[in-house]
Amino acid sequence: MLRIPVNERPDLRRAASEHGLEYSANDGITGWDESAYYQFCMREIDEDLKAPAEELEGMCMEVVDRAITDEQVLQRLGIPEHFWDYIANSWRSSERNLYGRMDLSYSGKGPAKLLEYNADTPTALYETAVFQWEWFEQATELGLIPEGGDQLNDVHESIVQAFPFLGINELAHFACNYDIEDDKGTLQYLEECAQEVGLETCFLAMEEIGLNDHGQLTDLEDRAIRTLIKLYPWEWIMAEEFGSQVPTSGVRFIEPPWKAILSNKGLMPLLWGMFEGHPNLLPAYFEDDPAAAELVGTGSYVRKPMLSRQGANIEIVKNGQTHYKSDGPYSEDAHIIQGFQPLPEFEGCYPLVGCWLVASKAVGLCIREDKTLVTSKDSQFVPHIILD
Amino acid sequence: MKRRSSISVGLMMSVSLIALSACEEPRVDASVYESVEQCKRDPLGNPDQCESNFKEAKAQHAAVAPKYATKEDCVADFGAEKCEKAPYQTSTGGSVFMPLMAGYMMGSLLGGRRMGAQPLYSSTSSPGTFRTADNKSAGSKTGRTQVARSATSKPSVKSTTMRRGGFGSSGRRFGSAAT
Repeated sequence: MLRIPVNERPDLRRAASEHGLEYSANDGITGWDESAYYQFCMREIDEDLKAPAEELEGMCMEVVDRAITDEQVLQRLGIPEHFWDYIANSWRSSERNLYGRMDLSYSGKGPAKLLEYNADTPTALYETAVFQWEWFEQATELGLIPEGGDQLNDVHESIVQAFPFLGINELAHFACNYDIEDDKGTLQYLEECAQEVGLETCFLAMEEIGLNDHGQLTDLEDRAIRTLIKLYPWEWIMAEEFGSQVPTSGVRFIEPPWKAILSNKGLMPLLWGMFEGHPNLLPAYFEDDPAAAELVGTGSYVRKPMLSRQGANIEIVKNGQTHYKSDGPYSEDAHIIQGFQPLPEFEGCYPLVGCWLVASKAVGLCIREDKTLVTSKDSQFVPHIILD
Repeated sequence: MKRRSSISVGLMMSVSLIALSACEEPRVDASVYESVEQCKRDPLGNPDQCESNFKEAKAQHAAVAPKYATKEDCVADFGAEKCEKAPYQTSTGGSVFMPLMAGYMMGSLLGGRRMGAQPLYSSTSSPGTFRTADNKSAGSKTGRTQVARSATSKPSVKSTTMRRGGFGSSGRRFGSAAT
């Protein structure tokens, strides 16, 4: 794994406008940096990232399978009792999952460590699947990067191929928070993928969803929603006013309800509990677990809220000192304690390797860099290549 | 990691592909009648099933018919004397309106599987044409006919939305949903 400086493509402004990305003359494309790329060898991709990600995915499924019948676990994850049977049924009836992104601390030396699994509402999908690939093609053509390279990026094809297996045979609805351009863009991309396989689609804001006299969720034309592809976290859905209607609404959700178990950082202690010592896991405990105190006692650990987003409310403690602490709205929530494995440093940048899973297969990579040890919404996407 | 050509997925392209496939949609046999009597008089028909199919269609009518919050809106789409009160109320106790049934489409055998009967409506925008509750054309001919396959699918339940805005509060509080 190398970080290699490279010239930007000359027409970055045009590339940004073609893809609807924000651009400024001083900072280039917001959230995107192609003044460098990461280079992996095939072995690193196959043995250190792809295979472990799929193995971890299998382990996650074992966690779900056990959690759905364990009231204590569901309670600890903060999942309201009203949804326990609903989640269990969605798992037992094998409701299909579409996608997710595992965030790994990986330096090219030693095993990648799973920091968390964004299994419900992952972002940077479009940048990974489309924009990064276009960079790779154009940079190769322009001779900016070596000939004969490749990229771990079958994300687009995999999503398009997965759609027919999701069992959607009527109108598919897509919903997210309209005020957030990034969320909207990600979901619109998924909508285009669905249209590519001939599905009829309808896009609306979460707040536009209605509830009819039959207890069904409706769109703005009062049509009952049968399939909802949402970019809106399960814990929010469950907590909001219409949430209590969801189990009896007859709506098939993507991601399915059982993803609520995986998108919670409580997954990390559950994985450690079942697979302690696994090379791709860090020790992790629920904060109220006595074993957490032991980890805290070592003086180096990370404290994370179970349901925070985009690096909010993360505290890193190193040698007994708070080394980093981010703000956010989740400080009151339950936390986990995780072993500290710092992101590697490459020229003052800390890359986080995201491995994309589509239908549980590892099919893409995205690397986001930050100047701090915690990746957040202000981090920069840096493309990658594979070259042997 | 197979190579692929550029994948700028065009929204417009996808839409036109769908439109194309709609034009080429296969047609299937069906029977359309305005009433049970008309059905029974059809020499090519199957009089035994006229009544049961009508009942089957009528039973769905209130659930699947398009719904309106005012009678004026319903009349604008379906014509004077062509609307009735639906057996539903809005959350504030207001009335809900829907068009009268203009006919029904009989079940016929479709690949060995019986296609269900369903109600038909007739809107002012295309007079003389029967339309399903999901606004798919069933043609203007009564008796045995052929309709687009999509017109034979089970009509969706169209009841009234009582409330909106029961989702979205966390998004307003926390911002992006992305992780």
